[in-house]
Amino acid sequence: MVAMKEKKRSWLGILLSFATPCRGKMVLSVLCAVINMAGGFAPFYAVYRILQLFIGRVADLQSALPWVAVGMAGYLVKILFYGISTVLAHISAYTILEGLRLKIAGRLMQAPLGEVMGRRIGALKTVIMDKVEDVEPPLAHMIPELSSNLLLPAAIFIWMVTIDPRMGLSLLIAPAIALIPMAVLMKSYSSQYAAYMEANSHVNSVIVEYIEGIEVVKAFNQSSSSYEKFAGAVSSFKDFTLAWFRSTWATMNLTFAIMPTTLLGTLPVGLLLCRSGAITPAELALCLILSLSIVTPLMKATGFINEMKSMEYAVDAADELLSLPLLPDAGKPALIRGTGIVLKNVSFSYSGGSGDAVLHNVSLEMKQGAFTALVGPSGGGKSTIARLIARFWDVTGGEITIGGVNIKDIPLSRLAGLVSFVTQDNFLFNTTLRENIRLGNPGATDEEVYAAARAACCDAFIERLELGYDTPAGDAGKRLSGGEKQRIAIARAILKDAPIVILDEATAFTDPQNEAQIQKSLGALSRGKTLLVIAHRLSTIRGADQIVLLRQGRIVDVGRQEELLERCPLYADMWSAHIGAKSWAAGSREKEVPAYVSHR
Amino acid sequence: MFHTVKRIIRWSGAYKRRLYWGFVLSFFASWMTAAPVMLAARALGDVLEAHWSGTALPAGLVWTTTAGIAVCILARFACTYGKNVLQESIGHEVGSAQRIRLGDVLKRVSLGYFSRNSVGDILAAATTELSTLELQSMKMIDAVVCSYIQLLAILLCLAFLSPVTALIGLMGAALSSLALYGISSRSRRTAPVSHRAVEDMSGAAIEYVRGLPIVKSFGQEGASAESFRRASRSLRDIRIRIEKGFVPCNCLHQLALKAASMGIVLVCVRQVAQGAISIPVFLMFILFSFSLFNSVENVNDASHVLGVVDSAMDKLEGLENAEFIDRDGGDIPLDAFDISFRDVSFGYDSRTVLHDVSFTLPEGTTTAIVGPSGSGKSTLCSLIARFYDVDGGAIRIGGHDVREFTCDSLLGHISMVFQNVYLFRESIRNNIAFGKPGATQEEIVAAARAARCHDFITALPEGYDTLVGEGGSSLSGGEKQRISIARAILKDAPIVLLDEATASIDPENEHLIQEAITRLTGTADRGPGKTIVIIAHRLATIEHADQILVIDGGTVAQQGTHGELLGQEGTYREYIRLREEAEGWRIA
Repeated sequence: MVAMKEKKRSWLGILLSFATPCRGKMVLSVLCAVINMAGGFAPFYAVYRILQLFIGRVADLQSALPWVAVGMAGYLVKILFYGISTVLAHISAYTILEGLRLKIAGRLMQAPLGEVMGRRIGALKTVIMDKVEDVEPPLAHMIPELSSNLLLPAAIFIWMVTIDPRMGLSLLIAPAIALIPMAVLMKSYSSQYAAYMEANSHVNSVIVEYIEGIEVVKAFNQSSSSYEKFAGAVSSFKDFTLAWFRSTWATMNLTFAIMPTTLLGTLPVGLLLCRSGAITPAELALCLILSLSIVTPLMKATGFINEMKSMEYAVDAADELLSLPLLPDAGKPALIRGTGIVLKNVSFSYSGGSGDAVLHNVSLEMKQGAFTALVGPSGGGKSTIARLIARFWDVTGGEITIGGVNIKDIPLSRLAGLVSFVTQDNFLFNTTLRENIRLGNPGATDEEVYAAARAACCDAFIERLELGYDTPAGDAGKRLSGGEKQRIAIARAILKDAPIVILDEATAFTDPQNEAQIQKSLGALSRGKTLLVIAHRLSTIRGADQIVLLRQGRIVDVGRQEELLERCPLYADMWSAHIGAKSWAAGSREKEVPAYVSHR
Repeated sequence: MFHTVKRIIRWSGAYKRRLYWGFVLSFFASWMTAAPVMLAARALGDVLEAHWSGTALPAGLVWTTTAGIAVCILARFACTYGKNVLQESIGHEVGSAQRIRLGDVLKRVSLGYFSRNSVGDILAAATTELSTLELQSMKMIDAVVCSYIQLLAILLCLAFLSPVTALIGLMGAALSSLALYGISSRSRRTAPVSHRAVEDMSGAAIEYVRGLPIVKSFGQEGASAESFRRASRSLRDIRIRIEKGFVPCNCLHQLALKAASMGIVLVCVRQVAQGAISIPVFLMFILFSFSLFNSVENVNDASHVLGVVDSAMDKLEGLENAEFIDRDGGDIPLDAFDISFRDVSFGYDSRTVLHDVSFTLPEGTTTAIVGPSGSGKSTLCSLIARFYDVDGGAIRIGGHDVREFTCDSLLGHISMVFQNVYLFRESIRNNIAFGKPGATQEEIVAAARAARCHDFITALPEGYDTLVGEGGSSLSGGEKQRISIARAILKDAPIVLLDEATASIDPENEHLIQEAITRLTGTADRGPGKTIVIIAHRLATIEHADQILVIDGGTVAQQGTHGELLGQEGTYREYIRLREEAEGWRIA
């Protein structure tokens, strides 16, 4: 119970910490809500005075009229301040959402890149957009309304206590009885709600899968009924939800039948007190009116409990991103001598533990200006090494140095300037092609941008576009091929001109014209640099100064092509498989597969 | 607002009766809510009588009223419980049926549908929007319809005692509904504005996340943070502006009801002063004046939600009305599997991809399609599978136009291996069995062996029961590809459409994949050959095909065997030269 309270405080605390820029508005909003509530009292008091007139048999229209006016004025104040309070609360709520989004974005930027890229983009977007949005309705209404909806019943309770304490207590009878079924309802609510959210996200992920894989569904699913898993997930979600709802009907309806019937307590107690002369008939009438007036706020406050739960879930999802680890940045500039890279006993695991390490004690030296290639079966750790050098993550054990300095001691901005990382991911930003290239070096002149584009073989196709370099990447994106986009990414790296280049072999089988040009632009990029290539096609890297063969996170051998062919059977196998693959064809008979390919 | 309510009632279709019976129960529940107030007024009247006449209050009164209230609570419980039973499940029943129907619709529309409509929107409709409908539709019907039923039920009672009072109540409700109309028409107007702001923000968020590795590696964090910041600022401002617009209507709605309350008090004071109504009746009206509009007061929140529900229904309706590509198709058994294109033209939206393409692929032959990217190679395969309809000309399989088939009947004859492998987040077994629902374990293993994936599958700790991760990420690219080939092998269709992967794959995988493809195309150990179409990138694949189609600029530039085409001037010879150069490329 204590733990739960702490959790609650923490998520509310998280939210309120984003409210700083609009703290004044929030306080004002609550203040207006209180005035709104106070205004709501006037009509009750006015009607009480009218009743007094009648009970004293002194009533006529003229004497009652002023009180009607007082009541109406009270309502006007109430509504006016409700309006002000709502506006202020919404401004506050949306400011909080904005703060939450910016904070998440900032955290994503500061977290180790590997952490972030291990998540699905869609999932990140959902948190930034939808989950954060979920916080708004309860937040905007909770700030003013919850405060006034709790204050009003409290104030009415006190008023009735001043009339007669027993009268005040009688007001609590109906809510107290209603608490019994409500407690039963709430007992399993948290766990049921969690299960519901899980079932919901399961069914949604099945739908996402179905739509993403629609080509496969179309091509392989020949029955006329829908994909079984899809239909199954949908109907089991329905069954789950209905079962849950059904189980709540009895307790919920009982709660909502008893809770608002405050007369259950106040009427009998009031009659008894009135009979004994403890309160006057006019006071009895007032108490009955008051006990009716708390019904609406009471029900609203109860409703918020529901919404708080969904708000808690949303904040938790955001908080998960907000508490991503930070990649520590070195404070002071480091003296880097050269661009040679050394890995010393490097170990790495995603969890930080040692049981599931993907790299074990890897030691490796890449001299300044040398060409190193990483090869080996997939899952061997090639990409991990490349990413550790770019500090997507920090190593779990050992160290990586550039120019003799541990990369953890190199400020991140400096490290970014040292290393160009070129992958198959050829994402363009939604700005002009010129600015997309200039991203490599914001200080570059247009001439330098054009030179880089020429070196990356982009100039020809860019100039064919109507707006040339000013074409927005969004429009161009539809007209550029994957290879062309990739060359723009390479131009960006050429413009950056970092002394260390890491290539996650970017030469896919696009069409040959494209491929030849990509290859040419990669040549321009890597000339004279300390070069690390993750190679898939061995022929590409046969001229490397050193080839590093990795398997299961360990270095099997290091050497030049001829050395490895001679002494390393795994490499020799890979080489012959590579050569073999080149001369194979669909439609050829299996016996024609070259005999030197190992069958495993 | 009421338009949406009507729409929801229509949406509930077969469950409409239950909805109406729910309304009836709601009507009784309202009386049971009002009854305690009447009891109180009655008792208060007795108290005053006793007070004025100086007599003691009868002791029995306390107990009879208490018992009366308790009975009202129980009756109210019974009515609302019954209403829940009748109504609350409807949203979920209808919603889940609609989800399944949507799944079927999406399977039968042209793939062009997915490029014309953003996949994000389609997904949102099938998940979030439908959830909104499921969860909110019945609640909102309840909030709106039952609120007004409750108001009418009580006003009906009051009308017997004082018609003028009931009339004032009615006027207040009418005035407030005018304000509510303002809210809902405003929310219809602002919905597209806020939708666009949300889209922009989503776009900015995706670009931000996608661009993270790039801006970080170029030290340009500021630039991309700025556009994210701008988008979230403008979303905030738009939202606040929209919210502000609702406030006057909301206030007017409340003002109308409150004024009516005070109006009732005023009229009653007048009437009782004139002696037109008795004191107990007067008391009852006073008590009711505060609670009469309780339920209607909350309708403004509901009218907001109804706006959301309405736009959700619009989107779903749009999805459901999507045109089935195979609405006139039949189930046609085939005995020949040659494929012919005659004067086929096709374009995606405005961009024409193929112009008057004609060729024939004889049954049992292998055809390699080559050409630059964007020349329409993949489009040819998509057209054979009728993922799209041709704009002109015709495609025939075994003499039948592909438009004569239903999608299921046509695709029953075709096995496809896609360039972008898609595996479902299920066991490897189920992923392979997807090719042939109901396949036995032996058949699955045989297909896996043929696709050269049995060995790595059995080496996994959970073997065939291993779950394929998010989008198939726990397996290497080559492994995933072989599983997708096993899926196609298990299907064992007479026509094979194969889009050769272009992504880089390590050499041993590449070799295994090619063995797997050999088994799929089935020339190794089957009698009559399959009709095979390969979008080819590797030289070896191309050289060994029976026939090569060179596609360039949306037409068939050249057609023939490798030997024939090498002998001709043209695209093919240049293509081969570049390809050889590329495959022999080396860095430094």
